[in-house]
Amino acid sequence: MALLRTENVTKAFGALTAVNGVSLEVEAGSLHSIIGPNGAGKTTLFNLFTGQLTPTSGRIVFDGRDITGTPSHRVAHLGIARSFQRTNVFPALSLLDNVWIAAFARRGSWRGFAWRRADRYPEVTERALAALRDVGLQDRANQLAREISHGEQRQLELAIALAAAPRLLLLDEPAAGLSPDETQRMVALVRGLKGRYTIVLIEHKMDIIMGVSDRVSVMHFGSLIAEGTPAEIQRNADVQRAYLGGVVVE
Amino acid sequence: MSRAWLAVFAAVILLPLAVRHAIASEIWIFAIFGLGLNLLLGYTGLLSFGQSTFFGSAGYVSGYLLKHYGINVFAALGIGVLVGAVSAALVGYLCVQRSGLYFIMLTFALNQMFYFIAYQWTTVTGGEDGMPGIGRPVLLGVDFRQPLAYYIFVALLFLVSLWVMKRIVESPLGKILQAIRENEVRAQAVGYDGARLKLLAFVIGGAFSGLAGVLYAMLFGIVPLEAIGFVFSGNVVFATLIGGSGSLYGPIVGSFVFIWLSESVSVVWARWPLLLGVAFVIVVIFFRGGCVEAWARFWSWRERRRMATRLAS
Ligand SMILES: Nc1ncnc2c1ncn2[C@@H]1O[C@H](COP(=O)(O)OP(=O)(O)OP(=O)(O)O)[C@@H](O)[C@H]1O
Ligand SMILES: [Mg+2]
Repeated sequence: MALLRTENVTKAFGALTAVNGVSLEVEAGSLHSIIGPNGAGKTTLFNLFTGQLTPTSGRIVFDGRDITGTPSHRVAHLGIARSFQRTNVFPALSLLDNVWIAAFARRGSWRGFAWRRADRYPEVTERALAALRDVGLQDRANQLAREISHGEQRQLELAIALAAAPRLLLLDEPAAGLSPDETQRMVALVRGLKGRYTIVLIEHKMDIIMGVSDRVSVMHFGSLIAEGTPAEIQRNADVQRAYLGGVVVE
Repeated sequence: MSRAWLAVFAAVILLPLAVRHAIASEIWIFAIFGLGLNLLLGYTGLLSFGQSTFFGSAGYVSGYLLKHYGINVFAALGIGVLVGAVSAALVGYLCVQRSGLYFIMLTFALNQMFYFIAYQWTTVTGGEDGMPGIGRPVLLGVDFRQPLAYYIFVALLFLVSLWVMKRIVESPLGKILQAIRENEVRAQAVGYDGARLKLLAFVIGGAFSGLAGVLYAMLFGIVPLEAIGFVFSGNVVFATLIGGSGSLYGPIVGSFVFIWLSESVSVVWARWPLLLGVAFVIVVIFFRGGCVEAWARFWSWRERRRMATRLAS
């Protein structure tokens, strides 16, 4: 069954149609990748999924529920978590607090939230620490987010999404700006998450995608131009053209 | 009990021995005012330039009821807290959608609006002359007209306020507000309604301002028009920045410095705001975290030196 489904989703910024009639189905439990050259509209699509932006037309359905235009803080409560392409953490807070905040948001109950001491929520702290462990940052829990390296901030970015115990995990170029070594580690990390979460992964490096994806959708100038298994995509002539036609070569 | 609380208790006990009781009371009242502002300024990252709106409104309403109906002290305080919270909800509702300079200007503009209402509505507020004749009632046989009795009352309420604020900033809400300050987009993305939580910070801050406003009215027996004016709003921002907006205790230190300067130095030197300006410039250039940060840096410097001499020998 499709956990996430979009029907003809379009987003226009004035004259620019960043996302153009995209219809997509993400199967529960799968890792579905979206690839495409710079400016193809991948991040915009995520912004539409999570309510940062409202589509110009079309529908977005999550788990049988229409979430088109639902504000982002509500979408989060439904169980959609995302990581950002450009690192988007809480710089002056400790790593633990960064993930703690995300874990607390998904608690369901707000009882005592302005009065009970934060350290009296052991289950939230436990989930936060587990998220840091998942990305290998457990030893730095008390450091501030602005003090760690760029690579580690990318890991934290992922941990914040994981701490929400999401039903759908949206990862926007988790390896952006990483060195080859760090990229390898990040790929291994994402591979480790596969099966535990339903994942939509944006990436524009083909080689990363091919090894981990169950399905791949290709975006070009706002539209989906192909969809299939990694092997099918690799053979597809349109995709070859989109990637090698001078738009971007990684 | 932490060192900070010991220092606060010591200050509460020693202060009336060092300065006039009225000044001592004013310091704690101003500190309560600062605690409320700092939830917005330090924790949520919202520079509200209109805190006297809540301070003054509470002072006028409770002052009026005390003066004309002789209501109970606790009722006056409760009503003041309520008026502070409600007026802050009103102002906050209009402001939290904006950001940056627009936000600051709007808090300021709304403050001006309340000021002109108070200025014009002379039958109730007394306009420029203020609202005099506010008594301090007798409660449970204690006569609060005694300066020391009133000081103790104020100091106790300050301690309660500090404890309440400490609970708030150490609760999940405290973390969430800091997250909103650090990165509102991400805070929204993980599930927090930024506007509503900022509004909540406003309401809590307004409640503290309201409490301070009533205590101030009872201290001086009058609500002067300045109590709702922009200079007052600026003063509490000033004091909090000097004390250190990055810490729960910053506004308390700031209140000490500010009231002490304004009450003591102003007597001997009319240009005292100049001194305040100098203090402010020093803070902005060298110690963005105010006195509290300066103090922490001094200690770590001493610690390092001690370490160095021990290593050398
Ligand atoms: N808020 C916005 N307002 C106006 N234009 C926008 C906005 N967001 C994105 N765009 C434009 O929409 C197009 C798609 O951008 P988007 O960020 O979705 O691409 P992308 O596929 O994520 O690219 P990249 O691989 O570089 O991250 C771009 O031309 C971009 O400039
Ligand atoms: Mg992108």
